[in-house]
Amino acid sequence: MSFCSRRFFLRFQINQISKLNFSNVSGGPSQRIELPKRKKIFFGKDGPITWKTFGITGVLGVGMVTYLLYLKEEQEEKQRKERKRQLGKAKIGGPFELIDGSNNIVKSEQFLGKWMLIYFGFSHCPDICPDELEKMALVIDNLEKNEINTGIQGIFITVDPDRDTPKVVEKYIKEFSPKFIGLSGTSDQIQQVCKKYRVYYSPGKKDVDNDYIVDHTIIMYLVNPEGEFIDYFGQNKTADEIVEHILLHMFKFKQEKSSMLSNTIDKITTLRGQKIVTS
Amino acid sequence: MSSKEEFLSKSQRTQCWSSRDNFWECLRCNNDKVEKCSDLRENYEKACPIQWVKHFDRKYNYLKFKEKMEKEGYEPLNEK
Repeated sequence: MSFCSRRFFLRFQINQISKLNFSNVSGGPSQRIELPKRKKIFFGKDGPITWKTFGITGVLGVGMVTYLLYLKEEQEEKQRKERKRQLGKAKIGGPFELIDGSNNIVKSEQFLGKWMLIYFGFSHCPDICPDELEKMALVIDNLEKNEINTGIQGIFITVDPDRDTPKVVEKYIKEFSPKFIGLSGTSDQIQQVCKKYRVYYSPGKKDVDNDYIVDHTIIMYLVNPEGEFIDYFGQNKTADEIVEHILLHMFKFKQEKSSMLSNTIDKITTLRGQKIVTS
Repeated sequence: MSSKEEFLSKSQRTQCWSSRDNFWECLRCNNDKVEKCSDLRENYEKACPIQWVKHFDRKYNYLKFKEKMEKEGYEPLNEK
């Protein structure tokens, strides 16, 4: 009740009381006012509440509350899912289609079942790319010595498709490690994969020899056997640190898969058990 | 070294880097006087593509600036 309406209500009450007092005075002190008496029946045939209304209200009320609870639950479930999506997975990575050194189309699906370590760079890169690629070769070599390792493919993708034709990329990358796969493609294909991995690249001004340096993101991307982006490693991480991180991810992935597998096996056995019982 | 369409091989890269390091070493010993290191500079320019020389020159200045910042700190601006 707002302030104004409360004041109005008070004044109304005072008026009523003064009226009563006045009638009292006129009728003499001994006389009692006989207000029409009303039977205090709230329930039953004559009261406002009957079994019928009571029942209807009850049913409606229960239905309403159930519906509200259902809505709330639904809302919470939605929020839970949203939170999980936001926290659990970054929208980085995704399928790509590029060209390898033998001019074959290479699709990211080909690497499903294997981990991928991807680095973006260019063959005319003065210092950072060679350093990073040597680091990546060391990471792959060290991983392969470890028993937790479940198979990893080192991949180099050029951000300079004009100069780095598939052949050039292959020649360049094999010098770092024969295990690496070097990928190039059309400008569109490179643009697409870079967009998916949020890689920035920008060719600098050309000099007299038409030579130029491409400024680009220096990050290694780790993708799991299901083709999902899992982690990234910047220039500041050492080879040993990267190996440790990747092994941890591989271990976690394996555990998740095995627990999922044992769960399904459990389900299958219980289902079978039920079948045997029923048949 | 003039730039070619081809990238530098591993040995060429190592050669370029070591000639650069020699030149940088000389600069540090001679208080950044390029005249005193002209031979090394020539070698360095022969071993590396022009773009790389430009890139490394910028990097040298940046590294020096960074070192100075770390050693001496920065001079606060007098904004009054």
